[in-house]
Amino acid sequence: MENKLMMKMVIGTEAIFFIALMITYVYFSVTPGFNSASLRLLDIKTTGLFSVLLFLSSFTFWRAEVNFRQGNIQRLKLWMGLTILLGMVFLFGQGQEYWRLLHENFSISKDMFGTNFFTLTGFHSLHVFMGLILLTVILILILLGDFDDPGSTVISTAGIYWHFVDIVWMLVFLLVYVLPVLK
Amino acid sequence: MEGTYIPEPEEELPGLNVSNSQGLLQWISSVDHKQIGILYLFLAVLFLLLGGAAALLMRIQLALPGSTFLSPEMYNQLFTMHGTTMIFLVLTPAILGFSVYIIPLMIGANDLAFPRMNAFGLWITFFGGLLLYFSFLAGGAPDAGWFNYAPLNQRQYSPGPGIDYYCAGLLLVGAGTVGTSINLVVTIIYFRVEGMTLGKMPVFVWMVLINSCLVVGAFPPLNAALSMLLLDRQLQSHFFNLMGGGSPIVWQHLFWSFGHPEVYILILPPFGMLSEVFQVYSRKPIFGYGFVVGSGIAIALLAFGVWVHHMFVTGLGNTVYNFFAASSMLIGVPTGIKIFNWIGTMWGGSLRFTTSMLFAIAFLVEFTIGGLSGVAFAVVPVDWQLTDSYFVVAHLHYVFVGGSLFGILAGLFYWFPKMSGHMISEKLGKWFFWLFTIGFNLTFFVHHILGIKGMPRRVYTYPDISGYSLLNLTSTIGAFLMGFSVLFLLYILRKSVKTGEKAPNDPWDAYTLEWITSSPPALKNFDRLPPVYSLRPLRDLKQSSQLQNHTDGINTNILPSKSDRGGSFEKNDN
Amino acid sequence: MSQGSHVISIFNPQSAEAWKLSPLNNYLIIACSFIMIVVVGLLIYVTIKFRAKAGDAEPKQIYNNRTVEAFMIGIPFLMVSFFFYQTVKVMNETEPTVQGQVPTVVITGRQWWWQAVYPGTTVVTANEIHLPAGKKVLLQLESQDVIHDWWIPSFGPKMDMIPGVKNYLWVTIGKPGVYEGACSEFCGKQHAWMRIKVIADSPADYQQWLLNKSKAALPPADTLALAGAVIFNKKSCADCHSIRGTPAQGKSGPDLTHLASRTTLLAGMMTNTKEHIKRFINNPEGVKPGVRMPRFIFKKDTVNALVAYLSNLK
Repeated sequence: MENKLMMKMVIGTEAIFFIALMITYVYFSVTPGFNSASLRLLDIKTTGLFSVLLFLSSFTFWRAEVNFRQGNIQRLKLWMGLTILLGMVFLFGQGQEYWRLLHENFSISKDMFGTNFFTLTGFHSLHVFMGLILLTVILILILLGDFDDPGSTVISTAGIYWHFVDIVWMLVFLLVYVLPVLK
Repeated sequence: MEGTYIPEPEEELPGLNVSNSQGLLQWISSVDHKQIGILYLFLAVLFLLLGGAAALLMRIQLALPGSTFLSPEMYNQLFTMHGTTMIFLVLTPAILGFSVYIIPLMIGANDLAFPRMNAFGLWITFFGGLLLYFSFLAGGAPDAGWFNYAPLNQRQYSPGPGIDYYCAGLLLVGAGTVGTSINLVVTIIYFRVEGMTLGKMPVFVWMVLINSCLVVGAFPPLNAALSMLLLDRQLQSHFFNLMGGGSPIVWQHLFWSFGHPEVYILILPPFGMLSEVFQVYSRKPIFGYGFVVGSGIAIALLAFGVWVHHMFVTGLGNTVYNFFAASSMLIGVPTGIKIFNWIGTMWGGSLRFTTSMLFAIAFLVEFTIGGLSGVAFAVVPVDWQLTDSYFVVAHLHYVFVGGSLFGILAGLFYWFPKMSGHMISEKLGKWFFWLFTIGFNLTFFVHHILGIKGMPRRVYTYPDISGYSLLNLTSTIGAFLMGFSVLFLLYILRKSVKTGEKAPNDPWDAYTLEWITSSPPALKNFDRLPPVYSLRPLRDLKQSSQLQNHTDGINTNILPSKSDRGGSFEKNDN
Repeated sequence: MSQGSHVISIFNPQSAEAWKLSPLNNYLIIACSFIMIVVVGLLIYVTIKFRAKAGDAEPKQIYNNRTVEAFMIGIPFLMVSFFFYQTVKVMNETEPTVQGQVPTVVITGRQWWWQAVYPGTTVVTANEIHLPAGKKVLLQLESQDVIHDWWIPSFGPKMDMIPGVKNYLWVTIGKPGVYEGACSEFCGKQHAWMRIKVIADSPADYQQWLLNKSKAALPPADTLALAGAVIFNKKSCADCHSIRGTPAQGKSGPDLTHLASRTTLLAGMMTNTKEHIKRFINNPEGVKPGVRMPRFIFKKDTVNALVAYLSNLK
């Protein structure tokens, strides 16, 4: 229980951090200096695809957790590995999006949209990356046979973090990619 | 019969196994909450000396008008470092030190929930502080004030590396502070001894709980602001830079939505310490427990809705001002409730004027001054006249020193026998009290007048008009008296540790569980604990042992008598 | 024009706006004194009356008293409500600005001096700002670089000058005189020497002053000053400073058209004498560290000529 409360407070503080970044984004997106032309540089289809994969990783994680509670360690390994793979694919997607944008001469110092876009998505990717480290450590421990006590809260605690990262991306994706298209 | 179940970490931790012969290494590698608490206090003292030296240099510069003792560059770095140090590296670690040390003892736990995370918090704070101070060697300390307004914090106006160190250092310090706060919350929620329901928690525990939640909520906007600033300075993004479409006002919103809760973060735990001190030295329970705790919660909630009162002269408009004036004034109500409840605690009591109690009583006066001058800033038209003047300097020092530090000193003199195992000479303690209190008031009371007479804050010098010179000279003399008294305090503490009378387990006839343990407590805090039926379990225990007169064996055997100096029960089957 | 130095203090209100605020200052002092007296009085009583005596039994354990608590909440709440009411009242009385109103003067904060431009005239001056007494005037406050803050304690409210933002302040000065203030938001190295002097003239004097100051600079009076004028335009002085009626049209430094009619130099740092001008030209960084003006290595004669020219610009 301690682990879970700790993790809930960690994501509480992280959530406020992202709220601060998102409010800043919204504030600047309604100020006159905001260059909405830059929004068109974004590739909503490709990123949308990678986003679906990230959301899918929440599902695979949930399967991993269920199997762990049932003591099905072989399946746990599979689902956990899949989760990490999906997370890595998402990061790869982010990487190629950045690569493309930078090659189109659109960077953090380009304009207010660039400033906010790279900060918001960059900090999210950093959190995905940290989550992947966490999950990889857990996977290694599983492979070493450390997880035989179904009462352990380690996996469900890591799950809180992983689902949080997905929810943040859902909001960021809505805010940065979807809303401008709807407008 | 077995004592009550004492929650403790399931596995043995490194710190519990190292022997004392390892000396310094043991302290560095320790994960024991008591050692980490004491290290936090050492950290606070180290940076207090650095921040205090900066303050004295500034006061020398300001002693006379037109002085050239310091260059303006140096003066600006010093006042920036003074503010940043005192807030992030002195008051915060001092508060965390007492929290980390006392909380497990008070709630009957053997350590914090996450001892390694506790050590991590300490050391990351320490390295953050070192990084901040490294800026002096790296080409100049930050020089845009502790609240570091944009666009002065941009590379264009502050080309040195100082502000980059400010961002990086504070991000680390913030991580440590948040981590330790989360640790404290989890500990308080899950590690309380059986019977200690939320309604029977000592006020100090309540205040630390509230405060830790406040830390968790308040630091993210700061982290966000610091990250954005670092990106602005390192990767040329445009958050706060007008040229690229950014806005200097956004920095102020983000910073103060952290900065104002931070002010309460520095005062709520001292409120808790004082509540313990008033009870014990008045021999009465806290008056209006529910109101004291409730007002703490009210302050924490209101803290998030008052930040714009730092921005009443930015031209945001009267509608915004009205809202924030109302919320800022409302804070005065719960604060007032606390002050009067403490007086209520003393009312009808049997008051012992120990050094600790003297600081607590002086706190009531100094903090009332600071609180009232604070209300002045909620009254918008008064704020329009006085903000960013020396009146603010007076106000914030009356709150931070007269409030937080006096509270912490009351706590220090109260808990020092427990932490060190030695009593502080009351005579020397009282000398320190008078020197410090007189020095403090001499230094800062005149700042009210300077502000009213139009002296802006953060000036490295001033013209010889309007009586500025005499007032500034008075302040400098007071500052040196304060500086001297701080050294005197360190001398007293050292002397007490070396040659002070051995402290009994319960020297003050106190009420809470930490006084059951030996002084200082053994590595494992508790083996057995009395059941908790009320706010004051130790008093219940003492009374029951008097009444029952050893007819019932339960727990009386672990009651240390006042003459009991040895550890009879703490060295059990370990 | 009365030149007596006045007492700089928020308790020396000299404008209609400051008079509006000052009752609130007084109420606050009365309320604060009352609370202080109550707290200190109670403390004195308690510490004398309830001092522990040897052999005291445990005093009566009082946990709560709802009536007392009700007073503790009620009285502060009433006081706070009173001040909130007063705050809103006073704020509503202060005049808002209507967009598009032409200000009497546009004051721009710069590191570390004040530029004053008088719309509708050609007058541009620095640091010593003339305003008519007895007339409601509108100040437009801006910043060129970092945040500054306009503060003259005797005129009531202060106001931030934020880059990219236009702030406004009304001021109705009571009587002619000299009023001092200073920049009140930390703005960098020379924040200390960013003092303001407002010279309030009678309306007639003010019109006369505007008329005088809208004229072009006086031509050099003697050969030395003439030499100075030539140097001023030939060397880089003219890149930053303007002297109206001459080719010097620089915009980044203070306008020097009527430099000699100001009483102080460098935003109140020193009195306006030939000696001080010379010292500053010889070593700007030494006199006002951080100042934007670079150091030029001039010959002694060159400096003397420049000083002769500048100190002639009445």
